[in-house]
Amino acid sequence: MMSPQEEQEKLMEEALGVVKTQSLQMKRCLDKGKLMDGLKHASNMLSELRTSLLSPKCYYELYMAISDEMRHLELYLVDEFQKGRRVADLYELVQYAGNIVPRLYLLITVGVVYIKSNELSRKDILKDLVEMCRGVQHPLRGLFLRNYLLQCTKNVLPDVVQEVASETDTGTVQDSIDFILLNFAEMNKLWVRMQHQGHTRDREKREQERRELRILVGTNLVRLSQLECIDIELYKKSVLAEILEQVVSCRDAIAQEYLMECIIQVFPDEYHLQTLSNFLRACADLHPDVNVKNIIIALIDRLAMFANKEEGTGIPSDIQLFDIFSQQIAQVIQSRQDMPPEDIVSLQVALVNLALKCYKDRTDYVDKVLETTEDIFNGLNLDHLESSSAVSRELMKLMKIPIDSYNDMITVLKLEHFGPLFEYFDFSARKLMSQYIINNCVENETKIPTQEQVDAILSLVSVLVQDQSDQPDEEEDAEDFAEEQGLMGRFIHLMYADDADQQYLVLNTARKHFGNGGNRRLRHTLPPVVFAAYKLAFRFKEIKDEDDKWEKKCQKIFQFCHQTITALIKAEMAELPLRLYLLGAVAAGQIGFENYETVAYEFLSQAFSLYEEEISDSKSQLAAISLIIGTLERMVCFTEENHEPLRTQCALAASKLLKKPDQSRGVSICAHLFWSGQLKDAEKGDSSEIRDGKRVMECLKKSLRIANQCMDASVQVQLFVEILNHYLYFYEKGNPEITVQVLNQVIDKIREDLPNLEATEETEQINKHFMNTLEHLRLRQDSPEAEGPSYEGLRL
Amino acid sequence: MASTAAATARISSKKQTLDDAYAPPANFLEIDVLNPETHGIGKKRYTDYEVRMRTNLPVFKVKESSVRRRYSDFDWLRCELERDSKIVVPPLPGKAWSKQLPFRGDDGIFEDEFIEERRRGLEQFINKVAGHPLAQNERCLHMFLLEPVIDKNYVPGKVRTT
Repeated sequence: MMSPQEEQEKLMEEALGVVKTQSLQMKRCLDKGKLMDGLKHASNMLSELRTSLLSPKCYYELYMAISDEMRHLELYLVDEFQKGRRVADLYELVQYAGNIVPRLYLLITVGVVYIKSNELSRKDILKDLVEMCRGVQHPLRGLFLRNYLLQCTKNVLPDVVQEVASETDTGTVQDSIDFILLNFAEMNKLWVRMQHQGHTRDREKREQERRELRILVGTNLVRLSQLECIDIELYKKSVLAEILEQVVSCRDAIAQEYLMECIIQVFPDEYHLQTLSNFLRACADLHPDVNVKNIIIALIDRLAMFANKEEGTGIPSDIQLFDIFSQQIAQVIQSRQDMPPEDIVSLQVALVNLALKCYKDRTDYVDKVLETTEDIFNGLNLDHLESSSAVSRELMKLMKIPIDSYNDMITVLKLEHFGPLFEYFDFSARKLMSQYIINNCVENETKIPTQEQVDAILSLVSVLVQDQSDQPDEEEDAEDFAEEQGLMGRFIHLMYADDADQQYLVLNTARKHFGNGGNRRLRHTLPPVVFAAYKLAFRFKEIKDEDDKWEKKCQKIFQFCHQTITALIKAEMAELPLRLYLLGAVAAGQIGFENYETVAYEFLSQAFSLYEEEISDSKSQLAAISLIIGTLERMVCFTEENHEPLRTQCALAASKLLKKPDQSRGVSICAHLFWSGQLKDAEKGDSSEIRDGKRVMECLKKSLRIANQCMDASVQVQLFVEILNHYLYFYEKGNPEITVQVLNQVIDKIREDLPNLEATEETEQINKHFMNTLEHLRLRQDSPEAEGPSYEGLRL
Repeated sequence: MASTAAATARISSKKQTLDDAYAPPANFLEIDVLNPETHGIGKKRYTDYEVRMRTNLPVFKVKESSVRRRYSDFDWLRCELERDSKIVVPPLPGKAWSKQLPFRGDDGIFEDEFIEERRRGLEQFINKVAGHPLAQNERCLHMFLLEPVIDKNYVPGKVRTT
C-alpha cells in the first residue's frame, strides 16, 4: 500500500501531466486560429481542478500551474478582440462547457477580457461573475475558483467616486466594494464550512489545512485596502461594518482570529483611529475560543507606534484613544466570563503601554489601569497569586512597566493603586518585585525626600524590611539574604531631604521601619541609619549660622544614634555597636556642639562597657582595644578630668588581656596615648599633646617584660622587633627617657635570640623586619635630620 | 449595451441569511467501529465491536448511541436491507473461510491484524449504508444502531419521522 504522501505525489504527477499535454494542444490550436478547439483543451485542462483527492497544498500547486497556462488564453483573447472579434458571443458560448468548474474558470477568463475590450460592460460582468461562482459549493474548489476571480479582476475594478462616473456609468468604487464584499462573504462561508468536512477525529489536521488557506480569504481585504477611493466615511459605513458582520456571524474561531488581525494589518492606522469603537465592540462578540487579547494588543501596538512616528501627526486630539480602549476592553472582559485572569492582565499591560506611549504625562491613566486591574481581581475573588502562576507573572509585567518607564519611584508612589495591587502577590513575588523597586531606586539614584514617601516605599517593600505573615518556614540562602539586605543598606543613603530638619524626620521614619526587622536584618539596616545620622549632625554644624537651635538638634541626633546602637546591642551584637560608638565619639568631638565632651565621653565609655562585657574572643579583644586606643588618641575634646580615667582604663585593659603576646602588643600601643594623646585646656579651649615620656617608657618596659615571659621563642623575637620599632618611634620624637643604650640593649637581645630560631618562613619574615629596621637606623646614622636625635653609639 | 444585459441575464435567487450561511451542516452522521473484543472459547469463540454513532439527523431519535455488534449482526443487517430497501447495498468485508480452517499455526480469524482489517471494512460498510437517505428509514438500521439487543423476529418496516 502507498503512504498518503506517495499517493498525493502520484496524483499530482498525473494531473500535471494532463495540464502539460492539454495546455500544449491548447496553444497549438490557438496558434492555428482554432479558437473552439483551443477552448476545448483549456476546458480539459481545467477539469483537473474538479478533483477531491488532493490535499489543499497539492491543489494549490495544481491551481498555480493551470492559472499560469490560462494567461496564454487570456492574452490570445485580448489580441483577438482587438482585431474585432465579437465578445458577447463568446461569453455565452463558454457557458455551454459541460462541467461547472471549467465552465466558471472559462467564464471568468472571458469575462475579464470582455471588460478590458469594452469598459461599459464592466459593472454588469463583474456582478455576474461573482454571482455565478456560487455554482461551486465545494469548499476547496470554491475557494480557489474565487481566488482566480480576484486575481483576474485585479486591475479592472472601478475605482472612481459617484460624481465622476455619473455620465458613463461604468461602475463606481461602490460597485467594487460590493463585488469584493460578496466574494469575501462567499469565500469565508466556504472556508468555515471546510471545518465540517471529514471525520471529527481529523479535526486538528483540518484546522491546520484551513490555516494554510487563510490567505485566500484575506486577499479580499487586501483588494479592498487597495481601492483608493475608499475614504474614511465609506470605510466606516460600507466596508468595515460589512466585514465585521461576516466575521462576527461566522462564529468560527480560526476565521475570526485571522480576519481581525488581517483588518488591523491591511487598513491604514488613520482609519483604525476613526473606527476604534466599532472594531473593539466586534471583539467583544467573538467566539470564546478566539484569543481576543492578541487582537487588541496588536491594534494597540500599531497605534502606539503610529502615535510615535516622527513624520506623523500623532493621535488627533479629538480621539480619546485611552478612554475608548479602556471602556471597550472592559466590555470585552465582561462579555467573556471565562477569560483567564492572565489574559485580562495582559490586556491591562497593553493598555498601560498605550497610555505611556501616547500620553506620557498622564499618570492618572496608568493609575486607572491599575485600579481596573484591582477591581477585576476583587471581582474574581483572587487574593493570593501564586508566584508560579501565569497571572502573577503577567501582573509583575504590568507593575514593572511604570517602574521602568518613569525610572522614578517617587512618580510611581503617586499611583494610588500601585500599593494595593502589590498586596496580591505572594511572598516570593513580593520579594522579587521589592528588589526590583529598590534596585531601580539605587540605579537611578532616586532620592526619597520626605518621611511620607519613606513610609510609603518601606511599607511597599515591607517584605525586605521585616518578617511577613506569610513568611516561609525555611531559612533563605544566607548569601542571598546578605545581598538583599546590603541592597537595603545602599537604599538608606538615598533617603535624603535637602532640608536638614526634614532629613531628621526621614531618618526617624526609616528607623521605625527597620527597627521591626528582627535581629537578622538589624545588623544590615541600622548601621547605615546611624551613619546617615552622623552625617546629618555634620550638616547642622555647617548651617549653624542659619539655625540657632543647631546644638540642641545635634544633641538629639546623638541621642537617636545612641538608642539605635543600643537596639543593635539588644540584638546580641557587640563588635558592630562598639565601632559605631567609637565613630560617634569622633563625630561628636569634631562637631563641637554644646555638651559635646559629655556626649563623646558617654560614647567612648559605652564602647568600653561593650568591650568589657560582651567581647570575649581574645583576637576580637585585641582588635577592639586597639581601636579604642586609636580613637582616644585622636580625640581633642577631652580635658584631663575625662581623659585620665579613659587612658588609665585603656592601659589597664591592655595589660589584662589574656594572652601574653596580646598583652605585650596592647601595652606598647598604649604608650602612644601618653605621648600624642591630646588634652584640652578648659580655660583656653585649645588642646595639646600629653608627652609624658616617663609613662611612655614605663609602658614600653612593661611590654618588653611581658614579651620576655612568652614561651614561644619565635613570637618573643617578633615582639622584640615590634617593641624596638616603638622605641625608635619615640626616640625620634625626642622622648628623653629613651637613650641609645636602651636601644642597644634591645638590639643585642634580638641579635642573640634570632639565630636560635628554626629556619621557617616566619623566622624569615621576622629577620627581614629586623634587617629593615637596622637599615633604617643606618640611613639615619649616615645622614641625620637637622633637628633629629643623634644616633651615635648605636651598635649596628 | 443590450448584449451585455442579455449575456448576464439571470433568474434572481433569494439572498441567503447569515445564520444559514454559517450554520453547521444539518446532515452530520459519523459512525465509528472500534474496541474489538474476543469472547468465549472453542467453537463459541467470537469477536465483537463497539458501534458508536454521532449524528444530528432528525430521523434518529438520539444524537449519540453506542452498541456492541459482531460480524453476523452486520451480515444480518445487510440481508434485511437487501430484501426490504431499494438501495444497492455495498458488500461486507469477506468471510475469510480460509482463515477458519483447522490445524493452523496462527490464531486464524482472531489474529489482531485480521480483526483490524475487518474493523475497517465494517466501518466503511456501515457509514455507507447509514449515510443513504433511503436506508435511514429502515427499521432494521435503527435497531442495529440504537438497540442494545437485536430482535431478529421484529416486524420489518419504515420509521416515521414527524
